[in-house]
Amino acid sequence: MLQVEELSKSYGKFLAVDRLSFSVEDGAIFGFVGPNGAGKTTTMKILGTLLRPSSGKAWIAGEDVSQNPRRIRQLVGYMPDFFGVYDDLKVDEYLDFYSASYRIPARQREKIISDLLELMDLEHKREAYVDSLSRGMKQRLCLARCLVHDPALLILDEPASGLDPRARVEVREILKELKNMGKTIIISSHILSELTELCTHLGIIEAGKMVACGSVDEIVHRSQSAQSIEIRVLGQMDEALFIINNNLGLSAIKLDEQMLELPFNGNEEEMNRILTHLVQAGIPLVSFAQSQSNLENIFMQLTKGVVQ
Amino acid sequence: MKSLVLNPILAKEFRSRMRNWKSPLMISLYLGLLGLITLAYYWMQQKRGFYSGFGPDVGPQIFIILSVFQLLLLSFVTPALTAGVINGERERQTFDLLLCTRLSSASIVLNKLLASISYILLLVIASLPVFAIVYFFGGVLLSDMGRVILVSMATAITFGVIGIFCSTLFKRTQVSMVVSYVVVLLFLVGTMAVTVFLQGIQTGPYPRVTAMYFSYANPLVALFSIFPNQAAGVGIMSSFLGGYRTYGYNAAVSQALSPWQYNFIFDGVLIIVLLLLTVFLLDPVGRFKRLRKNPAVVETEAESAPAEG
Repeated sequence: MLQVEELSKSYGKFLAVDRLSFSVEDGAIFGFVGPNGAGKTTTMKILGTLLRPSSGKAWIAGEDVSQNPRRIRQLVGYMPDFFGVYDDLKVDEYLDFYSASYRIPARQREKIISDLLELMDLEHKREAYVDSLSRGMKQRLCLARCLVHDPALLILDEPASGLDPRARVEVREILKELKNMGKTIIISSHILSELTELCTHLGIIEAGKMVACGSVDEIVHRSQSAQSIEIRVLGQMDEALFIINNNLGLSAIKLDEQMLELPFNGNEEEMNRILTHLVQAGIPLVSFAQSQSNLENIFMQLTKGVVQ
Repeated sequence: MKSLVLNPILAKEFRSRMRNWKSPLMISLYLGLLGLITLAYYWMQQKRGFYSGFGPDVGPQIFIILSVFQLLLLSFVTPALTAGVINGERERQTFDLLLCTRLSSASIVLNKLLASISYILLLVIASLPVFAIVYFFGGVLLSDMGRVILVSMATAITFGVIGIFCSTLFKRTQVSMVVSYVVVLLFLVGTMAVTVFLQGIQTGPYPRVTAMYFSYANPLVALFSIFPNQAAGVGIMSSFLGGYRTYGYNAAVSQALSPWQYNFIFDGVLIIVLLLLTVFLLDPVGRFKRLRKNPAVVETEAESAPAEG
């Protein structure tokens, strides 16, 4: 569905996106993760035909994004990281305006609007002024706006930003529904735990560069290869270090007076062997645990907090 | 072409504008002011005792006063309607959403302009009953009235395009509003000042005529060239009319067109140039910018356009 090759965007001397390359398959949900200022929004704007890249290419369904923006606009539903609503329009008028802007014939619009309002659970607000909607409802309305022309690819920049937990869950459920409908989705978010649950693929970007990209399983597996065991003891720190480093041939390091960290790629049997050795040597253990590999950890491992 | 002008922006702008309480208020104020000016003038004439009844000049003079005030009011109203249309979308954060749709930049600009001009046309049409008072007194031809409406609308469109251009050029509405009003003021006062200056430094009849052409950019000069010759008050503008009138020296024979026609041509050229610039500034990845980068690409796209529907 999407192919990005060596995409760069600079503003004067400032390089916002630096030779970015990645691809997104049909029907995938691609999570675009990165710290503030990493270049996520710039990349999404280029894909949404709102910016020209300085160099590089991107293709959506085989169409060059820079060279055929009219065709791309028909293929893409872009949702920026702000609401962008006309307060003096009613909900159905708002959707009708955008439907007409996508050149959808008037006789088809009524059904499309009804279907979208049903999908977004906004039917009861059909006659309400956009101004009167809650933040979550406005976000759902914006999502409906992206869908009026039935795009194959949705580009959603921070769709859950600023929403309360209930509204976030509602948006997440809608995105799952859209995935089931066969839409390809690129989504950026700072709420990483939500992306793990929702996304099939991830791209982690920092300072305009892609630092990791692939399926969620691949990235988690890759980061697991750099996992560790954290061991907390009440005393006998030196004996514990000696057993691990000399008797077991591993290389633990002392984090503080009570905590050891042991880089570890082994399986559960090997973990049990280390634990048994320490217990049999009479080391007063408090805890022995493998560090959890969630998206936050992966993100922290892969990014260095570089802001351009 | 049909899709350029018959598009949802126009419908939305009409709906939003007429839903707003400001529109009826503006129309009421506009008509109230024109009516008040007419009544005040007639009352002053009666008070001075110049006319015991309806003098032959009353009609043309009311016509001149109404036309000038209408032009000044439109000059004041138009930038307010147009100088915030594009950066207003930016401030509401709806601009990117518009660009993402299948509406072209040209279509967005033309429809925003059309929506504003339609509202101005509404003001002009609403003022016709006030203008009709002139026909109680006589002395004004219907063709003169038609020309006044034409010049007023051309001026409003020109100032409207200036407003939209400023709205695209500047990110903040306040800045574009101020710049638009300054430009309008330059048209109304600056052109006269430059004409007077050029007349002062030049000698002989032909250079004076050249200076006159400069003054034809001024819509007030264009307006005064329409008014009935015998009406008192036209003489005030005679030095800017380049002898088109019988006042001052007569260079009219050497002029192929009247000042209001020159003004029309000037407005037309300015409108086209500014609209092209506005569309160029507005389009993020548009045809002009792609053309600048790779002319072959645009040719290829043009070939594939019909198939795209």
